[in-house]
Amino acid sequence: MTSSQLLLIAATLTFVSAVVQALLALKSGAWKQGRAQLMLMALGFALQTGFIYFRGQEVGQCPMKSLSDILVFIAWSIVLLYFLVGSAFRLSLLGVFTAPLVSIMQIMALVGGFAPYKPKGQINALVELHAAVALIAYAAFALACITGVMYLVQERMLKRHQIGGLFYQLPPIQGLASAIQRLVRLGLLLLSIALGISFALQTSVSNPKLVFSWVVWALYAVISILMWKHFTSPRKTAWLAVIGFILPFISLWIVTHA
Amino acid sequence: MLEPTDNRSGLVCVGLNYKTTPVEVRERLAFPEAQVPQAVQQVRGLPGFEESVVLSTCNRVELYAAHSLPSGDHGHATLRDYLVEHFKLQPEHAEALVLYNLDSAEAARHLFRVVSGLDSMVLGETEIFGQVKAAYKTALDTGATGKTLNKLFQQAFTVGKKVRNETTIQRGSTSVGSVAVDLAEKVHDLKQCRVMLVGAGEMSRTCAQSLLSRGAKSVIVSNRSYDKAVELAAEMKGTALKFDEWEHVLHEVDVIISSTSAPHFVIKPEQIEQVMRKRRWNPLLLIDIAVPRDVDPAVNEIEGVYLYDIDALQAIADEGRRERERQLIACERIIEEQLEKFGFVKPSGSTQHGFIVS
Repeated sequence: MTSSQLLLIAATLTFVSAVVQALLALKSGAWKQGRAQLMLMALGFALQTGFIYFRGQEVGQCPMKSLSDILVFIAWSIVLLYFLVGSAFRLSLLGVFTAPLVSIMQIMALVGGFAPYKPKGQINALVELHAAVALIAYAAFALACITGVMYLVQERMLKRHQIGGLFYQLPPIQGLASAIQRLVRLGLLLLSIALGISFALQTSVSNPKLVFSWVVWALYAVISILMWKHFTSPRKTAWLAVIGFILPFISLWIVTHA
Repeated sequence: MLEPTDNRSGLVCVGLNYKTTPVEVRERLAFPEAQVPQAVQQVRGLPGFEESVVLSTCNRVELYAAHSLPSGDHGHATLRDYLVEHFKLQPEHAEALVLYNLDSAEAARHLFRVVSGLDSMVLGETEIFGQVKAAYKTALDTGATGKTLNKLFQQAFTVGKKVRNETTIQRGSTSVGSVAVDLAEKVHDLKQCRVMLVGAGEMSRTCAQSLLSRGAKSVIVSNRSYDKAVELAAEMKGTALKFDEWEHVLHEVDVIISSTSAPHFVIKPEQIEQVMRKRRWNPLLLIDIAVPRDVDPAVNEIEGVYLYDIDALQAIADEGRRERERQLIACERIIEEQLEKFGFVKPSGSTQHGFIVS
């Protein structure tokens, strides 16, 4: 086992302990906008960054080629956006919902394994940038999905008069609805930039990776328009943000095996 | 089990509260805010007394003091006489006056419980923490405190914070008004929240006031009697609306509190469906306090609409109270640990928690 994989295991264990800590705190009713939670997320992020750095050294390029590497990079981007977005939107508990998804993605990566890359000639910075921006866009869609779950949980508790526990920790549903919109827009903007770069790279239009990226772009463009024009209720848009993320998730597997 | 130690033998507390004394007597024995500095000095100036803090709220009057008298009983008697004399109580009233007289560890335990909200009418309420802080600051500013009371009150604030941080004693709503606020906060950003009262009953007034005190943006009052609507709107710095006009502004408000005396539903699903389209699905909270109910329950089926009737609100408030009661044991344990840590009690034998009532 390489040192990079050990770092990833440590990062995954850190995120799992963040989940356990949060669940225990919520169960005992002693949950606070926790420093412990934040510290664990920060430690996990540092370990993830360490993994990406050492893995990059091993393969001689940005580690974004295999499905396992892509999963870790998206997981890293999710935590990065969590720190940027979570505080900006005051989304308490976002970490509690983020840590399980990040843990699952990293466990999948570890199970999948990390094979060495084929030797690559000259590194094209635009290609690397295109891939990185596209994956950060996917991370924004993942956070929109997580926020959508938070919305649906809060909405259900309000409708069913289940006041207590999580209810007091979750933000107002109006704030969650606008956070979903902003995250979808952010993801769409980043994906547009990534696709714009692909034009500069003169990538073939029939390239399966590009085709799937355009499909994902189109899906989120539609979701964004529905939200912007208020064609659907926030509940339906939350469902769209949750279910919509299945497509980019599946597309990752397809593009890495294409 | 904890046993008292005698390292604070000069500390006494004499007081009365809503449990021991009815409001007719409490109001006669309350110190007006402006007179507290003078009272603090008077208590400190009593023979044998060295330090004092006077806590006077609507629910309690308590004198904390450090003395060098031969016993706590002397201290209690002196403070009792001071109260009788200060408020010029008639002999029959003085005779009937029920005070709790506490010494050293019991006085400290009592203060810790008070600061933590465990001795409050609404268990776990947080306002008392600020009131005790203000009382202590008044005494500090007038130079009436010294080593004993400074230490005691600092310890009390530490304990109060610890109890609130390590338990959920202040979580949950215990009254219909605070439930309404909690719900509104989980639907909207309260600072942007516009409230409408349909009917101007007492409970809807309470709910609206709770929302305004927590930062709600504005209030509109509509009532069958327009004069009453104008009066209530003026009281809450809001806008009055004639009763046949309230439907026209439904789409502009975020919280509707309904409490008319109509024998039928006043707010129906078809109205709210139209409103939600106009609101572009902006969520709407409906609080129906009326009996018989004003809002058709089918309204809750509409997306983005959250309807709570009086039973639902009451059930949440009841659960909030039960939740706080469940936390009581944990709070008491923290207080006992802190009493031991600060040297008021030693960890052996047993101790009585009750008051010594004269």
